[in-house]
Amino acid sequence: MMTIKIAVRNIFRHKARTFITLSAIVFGCVALIFAAGFLEDVFYIMRESYIKAHTGHIQLYRRGFSEKGRLQPYQYLIDKPGAIIARIKSIEGVDFVTSRLEFSGLLSNGENTISFIGQGIEPQYEKTLLKSETTDFRQLAKNNSEGSPIMKAGSPLAPTDKYAIVLGQGLAASIDAKSGDSLTLLTNTVHGSTNALDVTVKGIFETSAKVFDDHFLRLPLTTAQKLLSTESVQSLVIRLKKTEDTARVKEQLVSIIQQDKLDLELKTWDEISDFYTKTVILFDKFFFVMKLTIIIVVISGIFNTMNMAVMERISEIGTIMALGVKKRGVISLFLWEGALLGTIGGIIGVIAGVVFTSIISYIGIVMPPPPGATVYWLNQPMIVPLSLVYTFLMALIISIISSLYPAYKASRLQITEALRYR
Amino acid sequence: MAIVTIENVHKNYFLNKTAVPALQAINLVVHKGEFLAIAGPSGSGKTTLLNLIGCMDTPTSGKVFIDEVQTDQLSSDQLADIRREKISFIFQNFNLLPVLSAVENVEYPLLWKRLSAKEKRKKAEQALDSVGLLRFAKHKPLELSGGQQQRTAIARAIVTDPLVILADEPTANLDHTMGEEIVNLMKKNNQEKNMTFIFSTHDQKIMDKASRIVRIWDGKLI
Repeated sequence: MMTIKIAVRNIFRHKARTFITLSAIVFGCVALIFAAGFLEDVFYIMRESYIKAHTGHIQLYRRGFSEKGRLQPYQYLIDKPGAIIARIKSIEGVDFVTSRLEFSGLLSNGENTISFIGQGIEPQYEKTLLKSETTDFRQLAKNNSEGSPIMKAGSPLAPTDKYAIVLGQGLAASIDAKSGDSLTLLTNTVHGSTNALDVTVKGIFETSAKVFDDHFLRLPLTTAQKLLSTESVQSLVIRLKKTEDTARVKEQLVSIIQQDKLDLELKTWDEISDFYTKTVILFDKFFFVMKLTIIIVVISGIFNTMNMAVMERISEIGTIMALGVKKRGVISLFLWEGALLGTIGGIIGVIAGVVFTSIISYIGIVMPPPPGATVYWLNQPMIVPLSLVYTFLMALIISIISSLYPAYKASRLQITEALRYR
Repeated sequence: MAIVTIENVHKNYFLNKTAVPALQAINLVVHKGEFLAIAGPSGSGKTTLLNLIGCMDTPTSGKVFIDEVQTDQLSSDQLADIRREKISFIFQNFNLLPVLSAVENVEYPLLWKRLSAKEKRKKAEQALDSVGLLRFAKHKPLELSGGQQQRTAIARAIVTDPLVILADEPTANLDHTMGEEIVNLMKKNNQEKNMTFIFSTHDQKIMDKASRIVRIWDGKLI
């Protein structure tokens, strides 16, 4: 107890120096908590916008589709999906299941013709947000962070629409189409014959993925089925209430497919969007280097403080050794001081980190479009509970580590020389 | 009863690999209850001799016995144990721990005694009272005068009731009146409690209070 008492008082002996050392620890903690929260939000927005606008959480296809579907898409269609959809809907955590039918073809305005990829969707499920009336850049960025496609012009598809399409903004630009224009879709039916359909451009949308906006158009599923002369669908897109449930629902689906011997296969969102997984790995590496830099700064701060403490207390160390304190007692005194600095700095740092991150999160940071995307978005850094624990432990452990050498140095002093030291 | 025995002790310091003799062929026996002065000019080896007796240093050759235990071959931890149990120090510069109050400084050597916190505090207060400083118990060393600090140091030395108290020039940093007061306080403890004191000094007035004086000159007892 005496050792701790002395350690505490020694820490507050030089208030200015302790303040500077604690500041280094606190700033380190704030930086780590903020960076973790910032990154978590980057990942979150990327993931959720991909899921909402493109992949859903899980996609089901006819078995063999992911391997050979690109060459012979119509050989791998799901017939009469009603029963399996009902089955999936009964799984706990499933928000909705919707069907898609994808095809490629030519799009003509009478003067020009370009190729496109069409996506037949069910508008009642695959919502497109209306373009916000606001001109506030921050508010727009915030809307973009919702993740769903946003109408740049016109209005989104409605469940009652028949011969209407919405175009990706890149695709619309390349054929110079505006909402209200009439266009012709030309494609092959599933049986191999050619079919065409006159449609009206109802709106122009944009998503977070530029590649998608440059090539895709969307139309009601029933219209797509009519054009392709089929009643089947290509994929079932499953949306969950929470992304965290993906693995569990996947397992349940796999066992349903096995039990019922269904001719189906599935992919989860992270298997489909390879881009996300790779970005996470890349950013995690950046974050690691940043952590290392912060840790080095904090270590040098504490090391400096503890070293000075040893230098100016040589005579006191001599005194306590004369009174009977052993080498390990001297070591433990300085380690306690380091540990206390780490604990105090860590606690203040975690609190300051939470407060700082919350404030920035409330304001939000407008972010430029990520690689391959076109929309600005709003980063609202999150408080990651695990990062709080890690940050505190890091403050404590590196404080102790950086006290090791000064403590060792103190314990090596000769009593007689230490007592003579002025 | 001999509590300190020194047999033919030599101590050399090394300066650029040349041996500089600090003590040569020292023989000394100190008995229980002595009030012994080691007298000599500065640089004569007084402090070196006290350091050897105090188990803070070991001789180059010769034997040192404290309470019939030979100490010249012991490890630093074993020496620390002997210091804890048998020896107290009073330093020229008082050497109180600045972050602790007077009573906490006095309590410090009781750290290793099997006593409850309450008993430790009570003993420390009694010792502080015996040097007349109880009302300064909560003061930090820097809030005390030099004389008060040295009295606190005496309280710290006597609180464990040690076998021997070593004082290296205890009055050198004090004025005459204060110095005399300190020696009187040491003498009082020597007479009333039969505590053994060995102190070094070059002040004649203080030497006069000693029960025995040994003189040291150029590292030799004369």
